[in-house]
Amino acid sequence: MKLLHFHRILGILLLTLFSFSCSSDLDFNQANDLKLEPVFISNLAYFDVPVNRFVTNGVEQSVIVDSPTVDVFNDAFFTNHLTRADLFFEIDNTINRAYTLDIVLRDINNQPLYSINFNVPAYIGTENLVTKTEIFENAKLDLLKRTTRMTFVLQMLSGPPLNENSLGNIKLRSGVTAYLIVQ
Amino acid sequence: MRKLILLVVLLLSVKSISQNKQLLYNFTAVPQSLMTNPGADVNYKFYFGIPLLSGISANVGSSGFSAYDLFADNGVDFNVKLRDVLFSTTRRDKAAINEQIELFTGGFRIKGEQNQYNSYVSFGMYQEFDFLSYMPKDPAILALDGNRDYLGKVFDLGDLNAKAEMLTVLHIGYHKNINERLTLGFRGKIYSSIFNASSTKNSGYIYTIPSNVNIYEQVIYSNLQLNTSGIAKYDDEDYNGDVAKDIKSKALFGGNLGLGFDAGLTYYPKKNIQFTASIVDVGFIKHTKEVENLTYKGYYRHDGINPKFTGTNSAGNIYQEFKDAIPLDTLHTKYTTWRPAKFNSSIQYSFEEERPTDCNCTDYNPETMYKSAVGAQLFVMTTPRAPLMAFTTYYRRKIFSALQMKATYTIDSYSFKNIGLGLSSNFGPVNFYVLADNLLEYRDVSKANSLSFQLGLNIIFKDKQPSN
Repeated sequence: MKLLHFHRILGILLLTLFSFSCSSDLDFNQANDLKLEPVFISNLAYFDVPVNRFVTNGVEQSVIVDSPTVDVFNDAFFTNHLTRADLFFEIDNTINRAYTLDIVLRDINNQPLYSINFNVPAYIGTENLVTKTEIFENAKLDLLKRTTRMTFVLQMLSGPPLNENSLGNIKLRSGVTAYLIVQ
Repeated sequence: MRKLILLVVLLLSVKSISQNKQLLYNFTAVPQSLMTNPGADVNYKFYFGIPLLSGISANVGSSGFSAYDLFADNGVDFNVKLRDVLFSTTRRDKAAINEQIELFTGGFRIKGEQNQYNSYVSFGMYQEFDFLSYMPKDPAILALDGNRDYLGKVFDLGDLNAKAEMLTVLHIGYHKNINERLTLGFRGKIYSSIFNASSTKNSGYIYTIPSNVNIYEQVIYSNLQLNTSGIAKYDDEDYNGDVAKDIKSKALFGGNLGLGFDAGLTYYPKKNIQFTASIVDVGFIKHTKEVENLTYKGYYRHDGINPKFTGTNSAGNIYQEFKDAIPLDTLHTKYTTWRPAKFNSSIQYSFEEERPTDCNCTDYNPETMYKSAVGAQLFVMTTPRAPLMAFTTYYRRKIFSALQMKATYTIDSYSFKNIGLGLSSNFGPVNFYVLADNLLEYRDVSKANSLSFQLGLNIIFKDKQPSN
C-alpha cells in the first residue's frame, strides 16, 4: 500500500514536470534560408617602374608589356558565388612624360575580353593621382569570370627627352572588392 | 562549401554544456553513482542494471544562445538571427553534447578479511558520445561579412576548436571500506573508439591592413589540423560495406583502443560529516587504425600581381602560389587523444538522526542513519581550453525508506539559476531513478541554455532492513 503511495507521488511529480514544460515553435528548416553575403577586399596588381626602364643605352623604349596569369576569377568558387567585383586602380606618375596604360583581360585562348584604359599626364612637380574604379556586374562580370590572363601595356607618349639619369617612376596600386553570395 | 557551412551551423545549434552529473554524484541510492565516484559509499548485496535501460543520460544546452534564438518561428529572417547570435557570443562560448547509455552493468559484495563484507566489485559497459565545439567567432565573421569592414582586424584561426567522439567503455571497479570512516575505490577502463574527429590545436591569423606597396598588406598564416579516425573510409565513394556491422565490431574492441582509470574516496571526519572526492576518466586513446589527418599549414603574404615588364608572363601565377603556400594535405599519422578528465568533490552535513531498533549502527553510511543532509559539491572538467567548473549546493532527503530525493542548485559559467531534482525509488528490489536539472528551463525548453537528465532501472538486493 505504501509503495503504491510512493509511486503515486513520484508519478505526480514527473507528470507535473513534463506538463508544465513547453516549447516555443521552432522551425529548423530555416537553415535552408542560410545566405552568406560576405564582401572581401584584396590586392589585385601593382608595379613600380623606374624611369630608366624606358631608356636602354640612351635610346628610349616607349612600350613595355607583361601578361601575367590571373586565373582566380575563373576558379569554380568565384564563378559560382561572385556577384559583383569592383576593381580599383590608382596610378602615381613622377616622370616628366605622359603615359597610357591598357589592361586587357584575356580568356584561355588569349582572346581579349575587355580593356581598361588610362591616360596618365606627365609629372609637373605636384602629385597627380589617376584613379579609376571599374565595376563588373552581370554580363560584364561574366567577362571577368572568363579571364585567365591580364596584359599590361604601358606606353610612354612623346615629350622632353629622357636619359638613364632622369628621375621618377610610375606606380600602380590596385585592389578588388569582391561581393559574394553563398546560399 | 555550403554543406560545410550548414554543418557548422547545425553543430552549433545543438550545443551543450559539460558532463557535470551533480544530481547523480554521491546520490548513493543509485548504483550508477559509482560511475562518478568509484569510492562512493554504496550498500548492496548485489545489483544489476536492466540491459540498455539501467543508465541513460544526456546533456544538452548552450552558452551564449539557445535553439530559440536561431530557430524561433517568429518571422524574423534566419540570417538576421544568425548574425544576432554570432555577434552576441564570444570565442569562449561553447557547444557540447554528451550522451551515455549503459549496455550492461552489475556489482556484488565480497568478503574481505575477518569474514566481513567490506568490499564491492562493480563492472559494466557503456557507450558514450561526446561533442564539444567552441564558437568559431572570427572565421564565422569572415564567412558572414568578409573582411571589407574589418581593415586592421586580426582574425584568429585558433577560434576553430572542436572535437567529437563515439566510443564504448568496458570497466571494472573495486572499492573497499578500509575502516568505519574511510572508503576507497578504483576503476579501470578500456576505451574502444568507434570514431574520433578532433581539431583542437589550431592557430593562425588573417589580417588586412593599409600598405604603401599595394593597397593592402594581406597575410594568412594557417596552422590548422583535423585528426580523424574511423571515418575516412565512409567518405570513400567506393565504400560498400556495412556500417552497422563495422560499428558493432569497433564497439567490441575492434576500434582504436585506450586505457584509463577512475579513483575516489569517501571519508567521515565525524559521524554526520562526510567528505568525498573523485577523479574520473584519466585516460587516453591511441588512434592507429583508419587514421586520416587533414592539414592547412603555411604562410602567404598576398601583395597582388606584380608585372615586371621583363618579358611575357613574368609575374608567375599568384593563385597557384597561394595554393602551394598553404596546401591541403592528407596525412596518415597516428595520434593520441586524452579523455576529458573530471574531478568531483563534496562535503555533506547530515541531520535528523534515525535509529532503527535493530540497527547495528556501526557503519557511517548516512542514508541508514540520517533522514536529511545538506552539502556542497565542486566539479571541474578539462577541456581544450580553460577547465570548466561548477559549484553545487544540495539538499538530500529520505522521504520514505523507498523514496529518496536530492535537490540541487548549481552555478557554472552557463547559468546561475540551475535547479535540479533527482528521485530514486525502490519497488522491492526494483530501483528506478530519474534525475533532471535546469527545471526552470522546462517552462520553455527551446529557450534553455542547458538541459540534462539521467534515468534508469536497476535490480538491487540489499540486506534486510526494517521499514519505518
